[in-house]
Amino acid sequence: MNIFQLAYKNLLRRKLRTCFTVAGITLSTWVLVTLLGFNKGYENSLNNDIDGMGFQIVLTAKGCPYEAATLMLKGGTGLRYMPQDIVQNVDNAKEVLQTTQMLMHAEFDPDKGENGGTAVYMGIDPLTYPLMKPYLKFKQGQWFDNDNSADEIVLGYEAAELEQREIGDLMLLPGSDREYKVVGILNRSGTQDDGMIFLPLKSVQETFDKRGLITMLGIQLTREADAAAFEEELYKLPDVQVVSMAQVKNTIMSLVSSAKVIVFAIAFIAFLIAMSGVLNTVLMSVFERFQEIGILKSMGALPKDIFKMILTETILLCAGGGLCGILLAYAFSGISEAAIRYFLPFAPAGNIIAIDVKIIILSFFIITLTGIIGGIYPAFKAANIRPLDSIRSDSV
Amino acid sequence: MKKFLMFIILSVLSLKLFAAVGCDLNDPDRDVKRFFPDSTGYKTEYASIAKSGGQELLKKVEARLQDNFQGLYETIDVPYTIYTVYKNKEILGYIHGINQKGRYGGLQVFLTYSPQGTIVNFYYQKLTSKKSKLLRSADFAKQFAGLVLEDFLTYDPKSAEGGSQKVSAIKNPVPEDSVDFNATLRAVKKNLILTDIFVFNKKEKTNDKKEAK
Amino acid sequence: MSKIIEAENLTKIYKRGAEKIYALNNATFSINKGEIVSVTGPSGSGKTTLVNVLGCLDNPTSGSLKIEGRQIFSANANLSEAELTRIRRNIFGYVFQKFFLIPTLTVRENILLPSVFQPELKTDDKNLNRIMENLDIAKRKYHLPSQLSGGEMQRVAVARALINNPSVLIADEPTGNLDSKRSDEIKDLLVNLNKNHGITVVLVTHNPRLAQIGNSFIELNDGKLEGG
Repeated sequence: MNIFQLAYKNLLRRKLRTCFTVAGITLSTWVLVTLLGFNKGYENSLNNDIDGMGFQIVLTAKGCPYEAATLMLKGGTGLRYMPQDIVQNVDNAKEVLQTTQMLMHAEFDPDKGENGGTAVYMGIDPLTYPLMKPYLKFKQGQWFDNDNSADEIVLGYEAAELEQREIGDLMLLPGSDREYKVVGILNRSGTQDDGMIFLPLKSVQETFDKRGLITMLGIQLTREADAAAFEEELYKLPDVQVVSMAQVKNTIMSLVSSAKVIVFAIAFIAFLIAMSGVLNTVLMSVFERFQEIGILKSMGALPKDIFKMILTETILLCAGGGLCGILLAYAFSGISEAAIRYFLPFAPAGNIIAIDVKIIILSFFIITLTGIIGGIYPAFKAANIRPLDSIRSDSV
Repeated sequence: MKKFLMFIILSVLSLKLFAAVGCDLNDPDRDVKRFFPDSTGYKTEYASIAKSGGQELLKKVEARLQDNFQGLYETIDVPYTIYTVYKNKEILGYIHGINQKGRYGGLQVFLTYSPQGTIVNFYYQKLTSKKSKLLRSADFAKQFAGLVLEDFLTYDPKSAEGGSQKVSAIKNPVPEDSVDFNATLRAVKKNLILTDIFVFNKKEKTNDKKEAK
Repeated sequence: MSKIIEAENLTKIYKRGAEKIYALNNATFSINKGEIVSVTGPSGSGKTTLVNVLGCLDNPTSGSLKIEGRQIFSANANLSEAELTRIRRNIFGYVFQKFFLIPTLTVRENILLPSVFQPELKTDDKNLNRIMENLDIAKRKYHLPSQLSGGEMQRVAVARALINNPSVLIADEPTGNLDSKRSDEIKDLLVNLNKNHGITVVLVTHNPRLAQIGNSFIELNDGKLEGG
């Protein structure tokens, strides 16, 4: 028999009390693991969503609208252009993973509605744009055939519905008799791409006489890049504006950070309760075994042995509760996620509670450490019991 | 700036709604007044074959049309918008538009009806064609005025033949290319059939019920 | 016969407010190896205090104590708690009126309890079985204390005291919680341990029948030795 087995058997003496203490620790661990998992999962999902946007930074000519919706609000006017070569050197910066050039063009279409209307076209680089937008999936067909000036069109989901186009169908661009063939129709993505008509960059440049010009450069940064510092660098380029998706992320994060503070406060209170529960349980058991601990000392137990025994009991309680809590958190992460999704204003796609090995180890460590702190006083108290005191409490 | 960011956030994270595309007037207030200058108001109703009778109704519609619904966009669940136009409490007429696949894009063919179901006006809300000016001309539209569903009942969209004399008399302003012209006639026939089901049949049924009471 | 315990002027004073209580008052005596010493006296006469001091569970206020010739307490030097623990481990076994068995441990585990704290204590199964057979508890080795009679529990307590092969067994009212039949069993057991295993027994008892087994007697009255 060793001290570990002795501590374990000691805990079995008051099974109900041990169970309640373990249940308290289990609940605290559950809360902790779920919260840490949420903290990580939410940020990951958010990052994935933002990564899914393809580029974190959009470089445009100063004052140029960069959202189709904004462009439409302005009646298709106000587009400004950057020469293609001004952005070539952006590619060489070490922070840049890849870039893609885009030319957004708004054209008055006299055949749209009674009095005509504005149609927005997006010229894209067939080589780089699809790589930057991996979330765009095709309902029919595929991207252009890597030919930057092909007479081909890819339609967003809604654009295809409006135009009643399927692959192989023909389309006309306003003011031109050049026929374009629909080669792909995208699935619904829930983004502005759904309403977009995509053409190869050069085709748009040629059709609308914008040779050598682009309106936007999408920049995807490396994960380790300092976005803020790089943005400052970009501002040194003449007459450009930098639109950073990092702002979007910050806004969302600030929305949830207040919720996080409250949730972590609850976790902290749960911890204090768990710790005081452990302290209370172990202290009670020490007082109950006052004589017995004295006898153990008469058998040759040193203070450090008793300290070790009591602390082992505490660690066992916490480790048991911790493991149960981790299992529960893991098993019920789906339900927790559904609840969080219900209460949160914005919940990104993907797992918003990501419980990984690191979180499990960290939570287990925190819980056990909490238990150890809670157990130190009772263990110290027990270690200092004199054998004589316990014996004398019974006989003179 | 905040509003803009919220817009992007909503765009990125928005719920994915799935629905077939319908055919609405771009500017109903303006368009209703244009076709019915005496109107004082209008009511907008939405109907679909799926909701009005399902697969059975679809078969009936296809039988009357003498053509099957085709492609990705002509489906049983397409929502149709019907505008009932009023002058005070009196019904002045109806406006109904449908989508139709054309050579270079979707056609949006709107018809305005008298309370009895006779076509009053013909109007392309959307049309992409090299000869769009000819098709959009008032002379072409005029040819549809006064026609009723009965004129089109024998018209076969597949062969582009049949129909009453009035239908046969409609001239294609672009004789060298009949794709959009034929698509237009199919759209008009489909519009008449659906309006008959969603508006006039419904009205008759309501009257029948009233009489039965 | 060699002396295993030598006490000289052992005094233990407790303070109760301003009052001084002499639990031991200049007690001088010695105990020979292999003896059974019965410590008797009325309640409160200092019997338990005496055996606690002899068993290194308590310090005397003054006086000197030698165990196996080694100076444990004296006016000049007292041993540290760790050293006292070592002496307790190596020389003494204790049996008390209450059995102090751990209710969740089996008989076997209770007996082996000292080995948890004494890594140097080698307890092979042979030795353990011999002790359990001697005390007639072998067939109970996997039972819990709650399944034992009072006499059996005390025998387990004795077995636990013997597991470290002590030279001296200190038994403080070992039959205080037992009926006369069980008391006799314990009495026989103590005599047997003394005779067959040469263990010195220091026995505190109120029970005159039990005290009779002593071949030496210490009688205390108000902390003073009456004879010896």
